[in-house]
Amino acid sequence: MTIDKTIAGILGAGALLASIPWLGLPAFYESFLYLICHWMILALSWNILSGYSGYFSFGHGAFFGIGMYTSAGLAANLKWPFLWTLPAAALMAAVFGMALGFVVFRVKSVRGELFALLTLAITFVVGTVVLNTPIDGGPGIYLNAVKVPAIGPTASSSIYLMALMGAVATLIISYRIQSSKLGLGLFAIHDDEDAAEVMGVPTLNYKLVAFGISCGLAGLAGGIHALFVSYVTAGETFTIVVPLTVVLMSVLGGTRHWAGPAVGATVITCLLYFFTAGNNPIAGKAAVGVILVVVILFMPNGILGYFLKRTARKNATHTVPLSAVHGSAEPEAETAPRSAPLITLETKPLLEVRKLSKAFKGVQALDGVDLKVYPGEILGLLGPNGSGKSTFINVVSGHYVASGGEVFFEGQQLAGLPAHRIAQAGIARTYQIPRPFAHLTVLQNVSLVAMFGGAALDNKQATQEAWKWLEFTGLHSKAFALPDDLNLHQRKFLELARALASRPRLVLLDEVLSGLTPAEINEAIELIRKIRDRGATIVFVEHVMRAVMALADRVAVLNYGKLIAVGPAQAVMQNKEVVSAYLGTPHA
Amino acid sequence: MLEVNNIAVNYGAAPALWDVTLSVNPGELVCVVGPNGAGKTTLINAIAGLHRVKGGSLRFNGQDITQLASHKFCDAGIAIVPEGRRLFTQMSVYDNLELGSFIAKAKVHRKASLELVLSLFPALKVKLQSPAGALSGGQQQMVAIGRALMARPGLLLLDEPSLGLAPSIVLDMFNAIRQINAQGTSVLLVEQNVAMAMALASRAYVVEEGRIVAEGQASELLTRPEIQKAYLGV
Amino acid sequence: MPSFNLLAQSILSGMFIGGLYGLIGLGLGLTWGLLRQINLAHFGLVFLAAYGSYHMATVWKVDPLLTLLILPPLFFVFGFSMQWVLAKFEISPFNSLLVTFGITVVIESLVQAIWTADFRRLETHYNDMKFTIGPLYVPVPELITLVLSVLLSLLIWAAMRYTDLGKALRAMAEDGPIASAFGINQKGMSLMLAGICAALAAVAGICLALTFTLTPSQIFAWVGVVFAAVMLGGLGSALGPLVAGIIIGVSEAVTMAVAAPSWAPIVSFSLLIVMLLLRPGKL
Repeated sequence: MTIDKTIAGILGAGALLASIPWLGLPAFYESFLYLICHWMILALSWNILSGYSGYFSFGHGAFFGIGMYTSAGLAANLKWPFLWTLPAAALMAAVFGMALGFVVFRVKSVRGELFALLTLAITFVVGTVVLNTPIDGGPGIYLNAVKVPAIGPTASSSIYLMALMGAVATLIISYRIQSSKLGLGLFAIHDDEDAAEVMGVPTLNYKLVAFGISCGLAGLAGGIHALFVSYVTAGETFTIVVPLTVVLMSVLGGTRHWAGPAVGATVITCLLYFFTAGNNPIAGKAAVGVILVVVILFMPNGILGYFLKRTARKNATHTVPLSAVHGSAEPEAETAPRSAPLITLETKPLLEVRKLSKAFKGVQALDGVDLKVYPGEILGLLGPNGSGKSTFINVVSGHYVASGGEVFFEGQQLAGLPAHRIAQAGIARTYQIPRPFAHLTVLQNVSLVAMFGGAALDNKQATQEAWKWLEFTGLHSKAFALPDDLNLHQRKFLELARALASRPRLVLLDEVLSGLTPAEINEAIELIRKIRDRGATIVFVEHVMRAVMALADRVAVLNYGKLIAVGPAQAVMQNKEVVSAYLGTPHA
Repeated sequence: MLEVNNIAVNYGAAPALWDVTLSVNPGELVCVVGPNGAGKTTLINAIAGLHRVKGGSLRFNGQDITQLASHKFCDAGIAIVPEGRRLFTQMSVYDNLELGSFIAKAKVHRKASLELVLSLFPALKVKLQSPAGALSGGQQQMVAIGRALMARPGLLLLDEPSLGLAPSIVLDMFNAIRQINAQGTSVLLVEQNVAMAMALASRAYVVEEGRIVAEGQASELLTRPEIQKAYLGV
Repeated sequence: MPSFNLLAQSILSGMFIGGLYGLIGLGLGLTWGLLRQINLAHFGLVFLAAYGSYHMATVWKVDPLLTLLILPPLFFVFGFSMQWVLAKFEISPFNSLLVTFGITVVIESLVQAIWTADFRRLETHYNDMKFTIGPLYVPVPELITLVLSVLLSLLIWAAMRYTDLGKALRAMAEDGPIASAFGINQKGMSLMLAGICAALAAVAGICLALTFTLTPSQIFAWVGVVFAAVMLGGLGSALGPLVAGIIIGVSEAVTMAVAAPSWAPIVSFSLLIVMLLLRPGKL
């Protein structure tokens, strides 16, 4: 079995550091290294939810405290052997965290600063409860009588070793998550949670899992710390200090990298020590403050992030030779290429909406729309501004919940399903204003959809699939670039590549052509035709009329949320009602 | 009065408009039509100072305003009725109107301007203390136009004022715009409702895919095939 | 069950501390709601002013109430300058939280360097002044705080409601570009607002010095409860933090009188949590 090089490296370093207690150094070193490990566990675990997904929690102190009190209580009061209290501490913290997450993560608007404040409030509530109930009751808990497990030659070295093992474990977990499907999903949530959900990422579940792991590890650190300090009080534990320090360490090191918080923890601990041991602890604290300010302003991605971004920029400009692309240069057509399908009375619709309605605060965006879309056709969805076209796409893809009516896809009722399930059922969409995941490379943006969408491929296959679609849309030379480096035309094509990577049977295109130059529009028309020829059904919203005329087999026209005409393009566009909807009726 | 010369506007790195030249003479009512996504709103926002212009120049009343700071455009004499109204919904109708005359030279005439607006839109009299967000679409449009008038502009910019409004209300609103123009304010109107816009305007420009594809007298433009093609593709 | 007198006195002292919560929260809420900045440095400024006032009163023998005329203008300039520098970097609301946290740590260190970590109590003749209304004691420093808090909140509220500048600020917060289109200079307004909020912090600091014992580590103790008051009262509201602060202060005081004092924090935070979950739209 081949072990990942990074993991081997971490284990090796850990083994090396574990030998320190036997080197006969003064006990100070063990305490110092303990602190580094302690903060590493806390910062890394915090980063798993907050850094990766962007849900900045200020409540890490609460879970740290829960772990601390669980261990202290079990060891000192219930006389458990100390090592057994550690998994209990982690479990308690994890369960509490997930229960909290279950309630909070479903409230859509509690994100960003609000989530931070809510978690901060939790810290104080938990602290108060602990202080006032028999868990603590006021005097705190003494652990002097607790027997320290004999892992190392001395008590302090044993505690150090426990923390070291915790740190190694947390580093490995952090690393594994970042390179896993969970990590990718979390990064997507960070950049655009709603888009991630629509592309197939099960956002609620992933957040819960990340939060659970994060809290569990914090609880573990708390448990070990209880033994280290040997006297536990609520006042010292449930404060704003732990969360703020942890945020500082992670942000300083870089929140997007699995090792970032570890770097930050080491740097800050060393800095603080250096200043405290010197003559000027106060200057030290001030220096830490200045560092934080400077880093946020000039290196918002943290130390690690700053250096990684520079190397990434260099990689992005390398042209990728075609031979590096796995598989054939042109993705094979899955079925024989075809032109407009013959629709007979027996043809079963791929998508059928009945009496579909959507209202927003008094505005009826969709009003009882009945529409059938047949397999293999290209249907243009038209109408003046505000007629409900984008709303239609948003409802069918699950971005919005319908107010009334039904949506059937391949006979299956879609209304009410969470967006990520609709994506997995075989429907993909593009956004009118491209919403790529800003911190992921172009390649990752596409491979993510291949993993989470209807195709549900594994990591390796998803990457191959992504390359195919980047080829198809002409973006393969930009595979390692960030979306910000693309122009509008390329970003639109990235949207297309993403939509196609999940191998959908129905593709919903929302004004893909708007903003493109005439030459680019021609290219896009060709591409859309090719997509249909490979077996997908397309519904596209457009205003560029020559594209509509060139591409659409049928068109459907909406006005004020109602469907006013549907049929072959030429005929419909000359329909009196349609003309008047677009041009208005003249009044003197 | 307004001279737009060869301007280009970008959204980020992508060009949204290029090579656009148009003008509005004192007292004129000019309209800009074109399908969605053609760049009409971008154009009007650039003229209002809401969007940086890249290349080319903007001149108003002889003054070069191309590099002028956003908040100075109102002082120069340009006021906008933005797409979607964009009222200050948390504030009362009265406050919204007052804010229209925030600049010093409009503030002096605040009372008179208010009377003018209320005579134009009498339905607002009873709604003065209501929060702007509580009004119907048509009433909100009236407030938006009123707010711009309070700035006593030489040039009034309107971006798709008929959007989302019932046809009967649209009629009233266009009549109000006609009156405003008749009283001396130059108007640049961006509209989706081509027939109505052409009935109102003396001259018109047609924008498609970021460029001006046709211009001329409104009455004869309506019959030209460019418009049919741009909107309906046939 | 505590006696009526005890309860009434508790409610009164709750109102006083609530007034201070509101006063501290006033500046914080305004920058959060109108400028989309979460300014933790506000707390640093409050304490800096508190220590400054202490110093002027104790060392230079200046009457603390006179410092109300000296410190706020100074802090206005400081707040204005800080905003000017920060505006050069376009930081997200969350990053503003982190940056201002850094600034607060620097201020805390500065305070500790000058005045040490020893407890400092501003001893003035005001401390001994109190008068009685029936069976209730009304200490003067606390009364001054409450009065200032109410006055300033009302003043700001009136300015926001009735003056052109106040309305311009509200418009700017709701739709910056359109406000700009009507002549409102966003940059200038932000600078002015930051200055005003720093001046408000100074006033709060002076009141804090009058009523509390000071020690540098206390800066962060107020963060939680004042945030709660601001969020419950509504971001950008002038009267909200005061009202919410008083509600929190009184609930805490009553909780302390009825149950054990250490249960007090649970009140404000539970209220905050419930609010966040049930009515996040309000913010």
